[in-house]
Amino acid sequence: MQYRIILATVLTSGLFAGCAIHHPQTAAEFRAAAPGATFGKKESFVVDRQFDDVAHTFEEQAPKCLEKRVKMTESGHMYHHVVVTRYTPTVLVSNDSAELHLQFEHEQGVMAVSEMPENGYYLMVADASRLADNKTQIDMYRPSMGYDTIVRAVKGWATGDNIGCPDLTK
Amino acid sequence: MKYLLSAFVFTASVLAGCSGLKSYPNTSAKNLDIHTRTDSGSFLSSTRASLDIFSVNKACQTSYQGSVTLDKETRTIGLPAERPSYLVFRFESSSFLANSSSATSYDTLLTPLPDRHYDVDVRYLDGIYSVTILERTTGDRKANRIAPVELKDC
Repeated sequence: MQYRIILATVLTSGLFAGCAIHHPQTAAEFRAAAPGATFGKKESFVVDRQFDDVAHTFEEQAPKCLEKRVKMTESGHMYHHVVVTRYTPTVLVSNDSAELHLQFEHEQGVMAVSEMPENGYYLMVADASRLADNKTQIDMYRPSMGYDTIVRAVKGWATGDNIGCPDLTK
Repeated sequence: MKYLLSAFVFTASVLAGCSGLKSYPNTSAKNLDIHTRTDSGSFLSSTRASLDIFSVNKACQTSYQGSVTLDKETRTIGLPAERPSYLVFRFESSSFLANSSSATSYDTLLTPLPDRHYDVDVRYLDGIYSVTILERTTGDRKANRIAPVELKDC
């Protein structure tokens, strides 16, 4: 868990935004900042799945799996550390595109050092766009390290191969 | 004397395997098979699955009935038919080296119908978990997937 706490501190300290004090306040700002950020990246791929199915899976799974408050504890000989994190997903669907935003806010254990948007810092944005031949374009703006289970879960929702929930404590 | 009594109660509790969780009485007709598979994905950690069962009254208030440890590949339990039960599947992970623990859960309402049998597939594989509930008429092989129902939709 120490790794997660360090990473979360780094993400919330502004390094994700390229060492600027200003942290992305909107999904659009996050999309612009992530590819060039120290710990961010953009990942794009095409799935052999109808856009409507992908959008439906985002709408169904995101609230169920990601709208959670997570408490992690770690204790040792001289310390006891508790981190409480609230995750908030948002899914926006239109005719030919769907957006999944995931935001997080540490309610206990990690100090926020930059301005935080409503519902918390952006952790990930996944865009799905309708393509021809029943295919769908996926563009993920995400951390380049850590949060592997969330990334794998969202990819599973896009491909339809593994419709499970990520353990947000991992 | 007080310390002796405390020590006795503590020792008795430990010896009795007191975990603080009530075992589910499991007295209703058996209508639910729970198939569990867990793999933490690392030899340095382990993941345990369990199920907390709550009854739900007409005002949608829950009452804890007990827990079932999902430590076997298949467990069979009975839920009262035609009455909603609130099921909370818990996945608890612990790391051997870091002395850390964490838990996540998946919850749903389920109202079993009479003459129906339910198969629940519970999986936790390398950080991704899922709970799938299938309903079939007793003696019929065809099954329907039951969508999760949130407690707030009671």
